[in-house]
Amino acid sequence: MSTITFMGVPRSRIDWSPQIDCAKCNDCMECVKFCPHQVYEVREDAKPKLIVKNPENCVVFCRACAKTCGVDALSFPDKNETTVRIKQIRKELEGQ
Amino acid sequence: MNPNQTYAILPCNGLDKAAGGVTREMAVELAEQTGSEILCPVFYRVADARYNRLAAERPLVVIDGCATRCASKLAAEKGLKVARKITVTEEAKKRGIELADSLRLDETKRSLAKTLAAALLEADAAEPAGPPAATAFPEHFEYETYRKDKFIFRMPKAGFYFSENDFWVLVNGRRARVGMTDFLQQSLSDVLFLTLPEAGSTVEQFGELGTIESAKAVAEVISPVTGKVVAVNEALTASPERINQNPYEQGWIVEVELADFEKDRELLLDFAGYFPILKRKVDEFHVK
Repeated sequence: MSTITFMGVPRSRIDWSPQIDCAKCNDCMECVKFCPHQVYEVREDAKPKLIVKNPENCVVFCRACAKTCGVDALSFPDKNETTVRIKQIRKELEGQ
Repeated sequence: MNPNQTYAILPCNGLDKAAGGVTREMAVELAEQTGSEILCPVFYRVADARYNRLAAERPLVVIDGCATRCASKLAAEKGLKVARKITVTEEAKKRGIELADSLRLDETKRSLAKTLAAALLEADAAEPAGPPAATAFPEHFEYETYRKDKFIFRMPKAGFYFSENDFWVLVNGRRARVGMTDFLQQSLSDVLFLTLPEAGSTVEQFGELGTIESAKAVAEVISPVTGKVVAVNEALTASPERINQNPYEQGWIVEVELADFEKDRELLLDFAGYFPILKRKVDEFHVK
């Protein structure tokens, strides 16, 4: 089951998930092995083999999969900008 | 490192990546300067008696080339306690040094190996005799527990705030202690090594306050607050298992001088707010 909200904000409104640099990725799949939230999908006969299948399953502010990446192919949005955005959305929701 | 001490040095020696060669060069540099012994990771895999003995007798220095952390994983697999650890690509990045893809050691790589070896040697020599006295925080708390099968998850009943990323903050005036929750500690399993931030560094809420490495993964310490690091729990360097024993008491990670806690609190939860989230996480994700 995916996380539905983060700090009261619908997860779908928060832009937080990994971006794969396919030019760097060497298909080692350490990130897939690590992530317990099924964010990634491995497609055996496709190119690229690794894709972000469920971005909304990604835990907001978690970048642990990137720490398993030997070739530094994973990147995430800016944390400060994301925090500001979450606070903005919370304000909007309070006003409703 | 102590120049009068001999070490067991375990480089990843990765043959298919540029940084792997740098780890070997660093190991040679350190071994020559301290009279230490190098452990070959390939030989260690096939015959471990000699190296197990060496690693038991001497403090272990682990040198990883990249984030795949082959040397760290090997040390974990062999049940070794790590005294010092460094990752070449991370250090190169910090110093703005680009490593060429070629597997041969050029001047840049040789000089990086020398610089990093020197930095490792200096790091320990410069360490103060004892950690600065921390502000008085209570040492014991009352806990609520949530049980699932044979696992019990503790949560302090009062005084703490939690982030949805499973870190806590305990405020005492303008100062606060930060650590991880029992749920995160149990999810990571045995903590093997910590990279703590430097005292004096600043951090934004949800920014990185060092890393925690377990047999399972490397996790970022996600700061629940904004402020300046004023103390780190030095005891964790020698005994990272304190986090597993009690992450709220002796397993605290850093102390921060708060910048604006009222602002931080907007995105934090108290006991009543976090307890249901803990239960949900345990029910959904906790697999051992």
